[in-house]
Amino acid sequence: MPGRTRPVDRLASASVKCAKEGAAYGKCITADYKNIHKDKCLTEFLKLKQCYTAALKR
Amino acid sequence: MRSSLLPRSVRRNCLRPATFTTARSYAIQAPGAPTLEVFNRHTKWLQRDKSASNVEESRSVDYIRDEVASRLCERLLDINRNFPHVLDFGANACNIARTLTLPGIDIDSTAPVSAPLKTRIGKLTAADSSPSMLYRDEDLPFNNEIDIIRDVLKTEETLPYGAETFDAVLSSLSLHWINDLPNLLRQINLILKPDAPFMGVMLGGDSLFELRTSLQLAELDTRGGVGSHTSPLADVRDIGGLLQGAGFKLLTVDVDDIVVDYPSSFALMKDLQAMGESNAVVSREMGAIRRDTLMAAEAIYKEMHGNEDGSIPATFRLIYMIGWKPGPNQQEPLERGSGMVSIKDILEGQNKTP
Repeated sequence: MPGRTRPVDRLASASVKCAKEGAAYGKCITADYKNIHKDKCLTEFLKLKQCYTAALKR
Repeated sequence: MRSSLLPRSVRRNCLRPATFTTARSYAIQAPGAPTLEVFNRHTKWLQRDKSASNVEESRSVDYIRDEVASRLCERLLDINRNFPHVLDFGANACNIARTLTLPGIDIDSTAPVSAPLKTRIGKLTAADSSPSMLYRDEDLPFNNEIDIIRDVLKTEETLPYGAETFDAVLSSLSLHWINDLPNLLRQINLILKPDAPFMGVMLGGDSLFELRTSLQLAELDTRGGVGSHTSPLADVRDIGGLLQGAGFKLLTVDVDDIVVDYPSSFALMKDLQAMGESNAVVSREMGAIRRDTLMAAEAIYKEMHGNEDGSIPATFRLIYMIGWKPGPNQQEPLERGSGMVSIKDILEGQNKTP
């Protein structure tokens, strides 16, 4: 659709800006991926989400 | 009576819904063993039909289907005969028909060595349930080069053809959405002429395992549970049994992995959607996938499976199958224990003389 960016494209461009936070979160998860429970990496995830929110607002 | 006070036209309108209910269509199950519904066929139909109506985008994601169709058609070269009437079951955008019109190319040289496969095919029936998918490339020149009939199916679970109609049945990348695969393979066996081959390829086993694991880990961490985001797929070892159970002989099953690199998991999911290959599992969570899950999955995908240049690989595991309908004078495997040459001697002998 011209003139309108799809949400998935906006997420994709935001993910590029949040590569550092993404790597930190990914490392936290993969460090012990056989033993995941809810909110295991909450601090890293909140940082990641904060970055996405900021990037999406722009 | 109050309703008699209403004007005549209103009364008639009130009655209308009652007459309409009799015309409602029910999902009727064929008699016999009950089939488990894994995929929502209607959802799948909507996804595929919608994806193909955006012609440009749909064509831009044909890379997997074209590649797989050419690999499947290559196998036709191994069979030295002509096929007067061939069925392409689950034709998608007629990728097989297009491939058949291309000149055969030898991998070792750049010059085309064989005539296009269409010269050995009389008539091709391309059957699919989605009209916009099936007729997407109707105007392209390859349609004039091959005798092709497009056939829109009501459902892909039942085939509307008579017994012993086709000289070969091909199927590329559509069997993985069939609910009752054993039943469909039996139907394919039925519509084949005696001593005619079925050649199919479907996604299976560990296809998209990177996406599957990333989404699972992401959901475990952000939500504390796992939803079904990717289809359950048939495994290689199941296929042999399935073909045998459907009555095919002289089976050949082999596996091929195609790994495609994408810039991000979002690009992968966008392409899957454009192919009409989005999730249609009955037990899936309704509504769009959560943004939190997507963010987390992207980070995990990059970290766990990502390439060094920042792109991510996605594995498509293709299971090729060939089965022959039994016929008179068909070659049969020799009786067990009747072999006079040890394969061990032959293989070891090859090693000695390089």
